[in-house]
Amino acid sequence: MDNNYLWDRSGEIDPDIQQLEETLGALRYQPQPLRIPTSLQIRRRRSFYPLLAIAAAIALVAIALGLWFAFKQHQVTTPLDVRQNAQPAPKQIEKELPQPKREPEQAALNPGANPVRSQKRHREPTHALLARSKVRAPAPPPLTPAELAEKEQVLVALRLVSAKLNVAQRKAQGLPAPNPIRNQHKIG
Amino acid sequence: MFEAEATADVFLMTQPFSAPAEQSVEAKLIEAVLNGEQDCFARLYEMYAPMVHGILLARVPRAEVDDLVQDIFLHALRKLHTLRNAGAFGGWLAMITRNRAMDFYRSSRETVEVTEKTAVAKSPNRIAMEILDLIRSLPEAYRETLVLRFVEGMTGPEIASRTGLTAASVRVNLHRGVKMLREKMGVMSEPPTVAGG
Repeated sequence: MDNNYLWDRSGEIDPDIQQLEETLGALRYQPQPLRIPTSLQIRRRRSFYPLLAIAAAIALVAIALGLWFAFKQHQVTTPLDVRQNAQPAPKQIEKELPQPKREPEQAALNPGANPVRSQKRHREPTHALLARSKVRAPAPPPLTPAELAEKEQVLVALRLVSAKLNVAQRKAQGLPAPNPIRNQHKIG
Repeated sequence: MFEAEATADVFLMTQPFSAPAEQSVEAKLIEAVLNGEQDCFARLYEMYAPMVHGILLARVPRAEVDDLVQDIFLHALRKLHTLRNAGAFGGWLAMITRNRAMDFYRSSRETVEVTEKTAVAKSPNRIAMEILDLIRSLPEAYRETLVLRFVEGMTGPEIASRTGLTAASVRVNLHRGVKMLREKMGVMSEPPTVAGG
């Protein structure tokens, strides 16, 4: 039997269905005007939600940057500590590096001064600094478990920030958020 | 009332966030209402009043339906700012209506029974009321769809788009509901069997 008539009133007319329509049609809604009281106040849609999302995103970015700087600082201080503890290393490097030309003159003027201190005071040429930095910069030490955890934390924070910024951008542009629920069917 | 609001909020949260590519008529009207054009709500009322009427008629006495329709639309107008996805207006309103019908029975059960009998006795179309009673005895999912189809004259696709149900669900509800209604009507129309005959 063709059931399209029951669905959308197309196709072959089902006399039983038509009879039901005619009988029950007597109970159909009779249009009446909506009586809205004058005292009724319509509240406007809350507009602070996108602002809140943006503020949260900014806060997250700040936290992530703070963590990142802290992590970087921690990385920088570690080789310095190593250098301070290891005394012979600078002497070795000094031997390798070419001596500046002005050094003998300064030594002649002030023979009692500590040669190492005077050497530190004067400004070295850029290529020498570069060479020193190349020589001195040791291979980064392997990260400790605590450092690895911090690094992971920073990466997670950055991912969170990225996701939040994406949501905030979509909210600001009036686009709907991506649907996290797939294949949802209503029941009943 | 509060429960109705809470459930409607939960419904909104669980609704898939899928807005159509272009803004629907409902979305434009809702935007206008929220921008202070209160008259636009009358258009929404015209569009959705039959659906609300049908859902109520499947649950509460006919005499109470008209007042409840007004109440529900006023409630929806007050709470319209909480609707996050304008495309889900129909489903949101249907949920408010169902919850309001439940609240009605919860708050005034004794009064309802008296009113129901009075309403049936005064009904101009007794056959229609009897069939409606049969429909009301069906499972909830079927009775709402059948009332919207036969009483309000909506087609299956219209029911789906207004209530927020999927077309497949509406189709299944219609077919199974009609089948069950036919069985019940067949039982009613059968002549009483004579014992020992």
